[in-house]
Amino acid sequence: MRSHFGHLVVYSGIVAAFFSVLTRRDRTDQLKFAAWAWLTMTGGVLLLAYLMLPFPR
Amino acid sequence: MADAEVSTGRTALAIVLGWVVPGAGHALLGRLRRGLFFFVLIGASFTLGLAHDGRLSLYSPTDAFLTGLQVVANVGVGPADLAARLSVYGEPAYELPDQNDPSYARRANIFRDRQRSAVSAYGTAYLWSAGLMNLLLLLDVWDIAKRRKD
Repeated sequence: MRSHFGHLVVYSGIVAAFFSVLTRRDRTDQLKFAAWAWLTMTGGVLLLAYLMLPFPR
Repeated sequence: MADAEVSTGRTALAIVLGWVVPGAGHALLGRLRRGLFFFVLIGASFTLGLAHDGRLSLYSPTDAFLTGLQVVANVGVGPADLAARLSVYGEPAYELPDQNDPSYARRANIFRDRQRSAVSAYGTAYLWSAGLMNLLLLLDVWDIAKRRKD
């Protein structure tokens, strides 16, 4: 897979799932934490990319 | 009443087993489902890393600190890293030898070829994350054995 966005989605999914099960015990808490972590990572990267738009290489 | 601490021997066994097979330490301590989940997750990350030409780092004395950390991140995933190195380098290569060493050019070329791949940066992130996640799991196994976590 060569899609940068695809890897962002998959990678942040793996990391979010890992830390949700590592740090939370209750199933609902795990799902909430995983969703929050995944959204924060993907959203944060997209926001950063947007902010960098005016500064091309 | 709270469960008693796990014996030192069993704790050590769980940590070693957890390094050899990600998630196995949890399974040994009775957290089978959690162990299976981590096994699948770390296995997926490791497989994606290899499939995307992730860097199997070589320790280099000229950049000892960073390359040392990279090797630790790789090795964290357990003997699967050794199998990957045997498959990629054809030998258990962990170090970039001196330039006068006959094996230098071969190892350096294999390393550079993988690094030149368009997807190597992705693969490296998956590989190192798999190793680092497994190292974190060993601390989790320790906490479970000491009853700091359920």
